[in-house]
Amino acid sequence: MAASNDGNSSPRSQLASRCFEDLLDSIIVDVASECHRIARLGLDRNLEEEEEELRLSVQARVADPSSSSEANGKNIVDIFGQTHPAIADEIFECMNCGRPIVAGRFAPHLEKCMGKGRKARKVTRSSTIARTRHSRGSPVSVYAPYSNATNTNRAPNGTTGGAGEEYADYTYGEP
Amino acid sequence: MRSSINRPPTPDANEEPEKEPTLQEIINIKLIESGEKEKLMELLRERLIECGWRDEMKAICRAYARKKGRNNVTVDDLIHVVTPKGRASVPDSVKAELLQRIRSFLTSAAI
Repeated sequence: MAASNDGNSSPRSQLASRCFEDLLDSIIVDVASECHRIARLGLDRNLEEEEEELRLSVQARVADPSSSSEANGKNIVDIFGQTHPAIADEIFECMNCGRPIVAGRFAPHLEKCMGKGRKARKVTRSSTIARTRHSRGSPVSVYAPYSNATNTNRAPNGTTGGAGEEYADYTYGEP
Repeated sequence: MRSSINRPPTPDANEEPEKEPTLQEIINIKLIESGEKEKLMELLRERLIECGWRDEMKAICRAYARKKGRNNVTVDDLIHVVTPKGRASVPDSVKAELLQRIRSFLTSAAI
């Protein structure tokens, strides 16, 4: 093969092709070597089992077209192979009232704890004023007589006054 | 002096006189020395991974290993299994890109 210098000559293309095949062969050897390792170490078994698990879990949830890594229902395997219970069961402390709460029930708890619910609105006047100043800023009058009434109702029961202690009220309100 | 008259000639490691390095070898040496071979390998590897070629080849190997028995496969087996399919299934765009770069290297190396 003459080492000719003319531009797009086919000897040069042939050389280029030979080089390319050389590179490709090296990469093929790489892939083969890695697959050999995986086969001998049995790592492909683990892959295969996970794939089968995924397939089975998808089949088991018959009417569910979504992929198995979403949080729909129980016994889902995510991309790391972990399963998660349907309701998160870790327990931690609510930063508002300090009670231990199950994580999966935290949102409903917060609703009651922070004032969306009816009973939780019976908070003390000062904290209500502070709160409404942040949020809406007007209906202090709406709350004030209401909370006063309940406070006077509750005071004889032995709860320690109303000054800034919505917790005491709250314990009564909690189902 | 008769020291070496009767002694048979020392056998040569290669019987023939050493050939001139072929053009292919020269190019290979130039590729390696300039670092271009490494870059081309990286480029080719990246492209083949992107286009899914590598995954295809791995699947072929896995299927072959499953059929033949996991502990019965050798690296040679796998190479022989993958090479024909592998060479045939490189996407044209990838091949063209690499060939282009090789050709411009050859030009710059004045071959």
